[in-house]
Amino acid sequence: MKNLWGKILTCVISGAIAISSVGCAGTKDVAQTDAKPGTEVAAEDTKEEVKDEAKPEEKVKLNVWNLWTTDADANAKSFSIVLEQYKKEHPNVEIVVDATENEAYKTKLKTAMAANEGPDVFFSWGAGFAQPFVDAGQILPLDEYLTPEQKANLLPSQTSNLTYNDKLYALPFVSWVGILYCNKEMFEQNNLKVPDTYEELLAAVKGFNAKSIVPISVGAKDGWPLMFFQNVLALRTAGADGSNAALEKKTAFNQPEFIQSAQLLGDLVKEKAFDEASLAFTQDEAKMAFLNGEVPMHYIGSWFAGEVQDEKLSLVKDKVVAKNFPSLDGTKGNKDEFLGGAIDCFMVNNNTPNKEVAVEFAAYVAEHMAKESFMLGAGLPAWKIDTTGLTIDPLVQQMVDLANTATGFVLAWDTKLSGEAAEKHKTLVQEVFAGTKTPQQFVDEMDALK
Amino acid sequence: MNKVFSDKKAIFLFVFPAFLVFFMIIILPIFFSAYYSTLDWNGIGKATFIGIQNYINLFVNNTDGFVMSIKNSFIVALLSVFVQVPLALILALVIAKGIKWEGLFRTVYFIPVIISTTVIGQLWMKIYQPKYGMLNNILDIVGLDFLKHNWLATPETALGSAFFVIIWQYIGYHMLLLYSGIKAIPTTIYEAAEVDGANNFQKATRITIPLILPMLKVCVTFALVGSLKTFDLIYVLTKGGPIHATEVPTTLMFSTIFLQNKYGYGSSMSIFIILECLVFTIFLQKVFKAETITY
Amino acid sequence: MNVLKIKDDSRSTKHDTNNIKTYSERGILLFIAAIQIYPLLWLIMFSLKSNQEIFGKNPLALPKKLLWENYARALFDGNIARYFINSIIVTVVAVIITGILAAMASYAIARMEWKLSQAMLVVFLLGIMVPMHSTLLPLFIFLKKAHLYNTYAALILPYIGFSLPMAIFILVGFFGTLPKELEESACLDGANIYQVFASIMLPLTKPALATISIFTYLACWNELMFATTFVSEQEFKTLTVGIMGMVGMYATRWGELGAGLVIATVPTVLIYISMSKQVQKSFTTGALKG
Repeated sequence: MKNLWGKILTCVISGAIAISSVGCAGTKDVAQTDAKPGTEVAAEDTKEEVKDEAKPEEKVKLNVWNLWTTDADANAKSFSIVLEQYKKEHPNVEIVVDATENEAYKTKLKTAMAANEGPDVFFSWGAGFAQPFVDAGQILPLDEYLTPEQKANLLPSQTSNLTYNDKLYALPFVSWVGILYCNKEMFEQNNLKVPDTYEELLAAVKGFNAKSIVPISVGAKDGWPLMFFQNVLALRTAGADGSNAALEKKTAFNQPEFIQSAQLLGDLVKEKAFDEASLAFTQDEAKMAFLNGEVPMHYIGSWFAGEVQDEKLSLVKDKVVAKNFPSLDGTKGNKDEFLGGAIDCFMVNNNTPNKEVAVEFAAYVAEHMAKESFMLGAGLPAWKIDTTGLTIDPLVQQMVDLANTATGFVLAWDTKLSGEAAEKHKTLVQEVFAGTKTPQQFVDEMDALK
Repeated sequence: MNKVFSDKKAIFLFVFPAFLVFFMIIILPIFFSAYYSTLDWNGIGKATFIGIQNYINLFVNNTDGFVMSIKNSFIVALLSVFVQVPLALILALVIAKGIKWEGLFRTVYFIPVIISTTVIGQLWMKIYQPKYGMLNNILDIVGLDFLKHNWLATPETALGSAFFVIIWQYIGYHMLLLYSGIKAIPTTIYEAAEVDGANNFQKATRITIPLILPMLKVCVTFALVGSLKTFDLIYVLTKGGPIHATEVPTTLMFSTIFLQNKYGYGSSMSIFIILECLVFTIFLQKVFKAETITY
Repeated sequence: MNVLKIKDDSRSTKHDTNNIKTYSERGILLFIAAIQIYPLLWLIMFSLKSNQEIFGKNPLALPKKLLWENYARALFDGNIARYFINSIIVTVVAVIITGILAAMASYAIARMEWKLSQAMLVVFLLGIMVPMHSTLLPLFIFLKKAHLYNTYAALILPYIGFSLPMAIFILVGFFGTLPKELEESACLDGANIYQVFASIMLPLTKPALATISIFTYLACWNELMFATTFVSEQEFKTLTVGIMGMVGMYATRWGELGAGLVIATVPTVLIYISMSKQVQKSFTTGALKG
């Protein structure tokens, strides 16, 4: 009887090892066979709307994933509107949408892509986030599928983060710019000036602190809201070109400009520009402080305008002015450079059986959402849109005017960098904030990132 | 008797279904994880076999603070075994002896366990809020305002604050387990003891505790292993911060796999966690084995 | 009680001390009860608040205006009813199957004689030690290959798998406290092992079964990670996924989220209270039998 059990156990264990190796080998093999995307599609004539794969009347089903689970997000509303329009115009295409909450979305998408079971079309972030997917050949390059009109309508400056190895892999719909939102009313009540320069910022900080008002709210616990400050300070000290060069590993971070960017952040902390307990606040909490009219300044993306102007969510509607981050004299950067870019995008899975239809869907949605999302204050359009006869919210108009003066952009560093580097960068900024690392240590460790 | 209880066919029938499900869901993935832990892999693209390099990086090079996260999980484990379980035991003893409102207390004490960790996390974040939070406000009122801190924002206090919540949430859980163990003891034994003149304390220490040792073993094992594996509350309260002060192995593993895209490295962390729990469980089995009594 | 009072008049000091002890004990217990129930009250309060109040100056105060619309939106936007039913199906099936499989396996480990029983227990205990996140990808691949993705089985199987270890461990511990006389006498009467198990041991384990059912239920009902990853289609999503969906990319209506959480917690509280009564009943019967 001992023998029987022994035999069973041996079979079971060897079976397990066998299955594991097959399972893993399977994953690797599939990933490698997908790495020949260009060959079959290059020959196709891109002017055709629908290919032989799917005859015009044939039913096609597309699985579409995004993270717009609630219409509290302006992009969610915009997506629903555009989806309805698309369905009316394309009755033969069945769209199955799966929306998952933001944090869980990243896990779910990565898991599905790792198992080679990703959806046909999906929301993604460009630059660093999608780099692994592109490298593994899981994303369809789109150049051969887009019509000349679509290519003409796509604003050229908006595709730089979605282009890998000179090929376009994703379609943007809106872009964002970093904006310093200033509560005019609070400034006026305290006889302070809305800052244009760094010196004026320091003056405002001192002025508010004298009245026991926290000048700037930041959700440092989440990492990225705090990171915005170091990133934009680097933008001022090193300029857009300088920042991008370092991020692309063409130059090192160990230069006076970047050391200065960390130093300035430390200075702001010493001047008590931020709440001491910021490391315990999430972005949600920090932005509520601004929306409740308790804190006069908040530096975050242009998507925030929608919430600022929504009476159901905000007590400061029409009291806010949008500004670029204050300028710094005597440095390589200039005041018209912005943090931001087009990073939210739609991607098409290289494994999808309906490549033409999928790209057509993605392009349709991206182009139409550019307009709808813009109207809802979710961002700046990445495509050319016709705004004749449309009323645009004044705060959004301010941001559009600012963006039109932009001479350079740098993405938020955690989206430009990938995986481990992005996470470690955010931690480094938190350490500078807490004073546990010096600016020199900061740049040294940034250089050590893979 | 022996024949009935050693019927191999019956044993197989009883055990196999559970074992089958368990094998598919737990054992197989462990083998996968072990395999992944020998790779340098981002989860999607090519994987390179690197043997035990991941483990060397974890401990010898200590590039990610894994060792400190293990230390943190040990602190939680110690607290749960020597604070949480004893408290749960005392509560269970008090309630089980038959006081007024026994049912009410038993029900209410379990409530924190029922409520999702998101809610518990959000609640305590508000309690710990430095300016408007209940904790600092109460300290103010009783005149202890020098004890006020930025509870979750300062590395020194974040650890204790987060761990306090973890211990607090699951006291009701252990209490319920011990309570059901206590209730299974026939009252006749207590009656006999009372005739012999035993008081409450003696009844508890000489009768109840020895008889519920199997249950106690279960509680201590869960508390210990649960602490080594704790994830949800830490993730909501601090995400492992501020600046990695409250990292535990699971939060580090999560960010390594899903945020840093280092699947192989993260898998080595999970294998370590499993092995660590295994060692402790076997250790506990031996400790309690000597003490089991039946009647 | 009355009898005691008359009798103890002459020994009033001792009686008073007893009373003080009882009252202070009760007081402490009530205080602890208040702390334990506070989260539930807080949840209900915040489900009726607006975002401003939740994050504003007094997050722990009563809502200024009762925003019942939070509940309306939580209930009627989207497929909450469908998600609710899915959660019930998945959880109930998982609880029942776990109970049956665990009872059988634990009995074999605790009471039957075979050399590998302790080893088998340790193998099952491995399940307690495995962090769920590390099984996410392997299970995902497995479910896809077995064509179980986007079905109820995609969640039921993993839930059973992860609940079994704890259930088995508790039941083995519980069987350990039961006297062997009952089984011995049943065997002498000529019962086979199946009869011994079904007619005698199983009824005795009611308190433990009730307890592990509660724990399994909790694990399944509130589970989020597997439910998000292993199911993509609306018709199979569970309640927790639906509620977390209220967390937007940049904006969340926290009050509505709270309303959703209250809706999700209500059945749990109701089930727990009713099971509590069952548990209580079976405790007393179990005790008297000895």
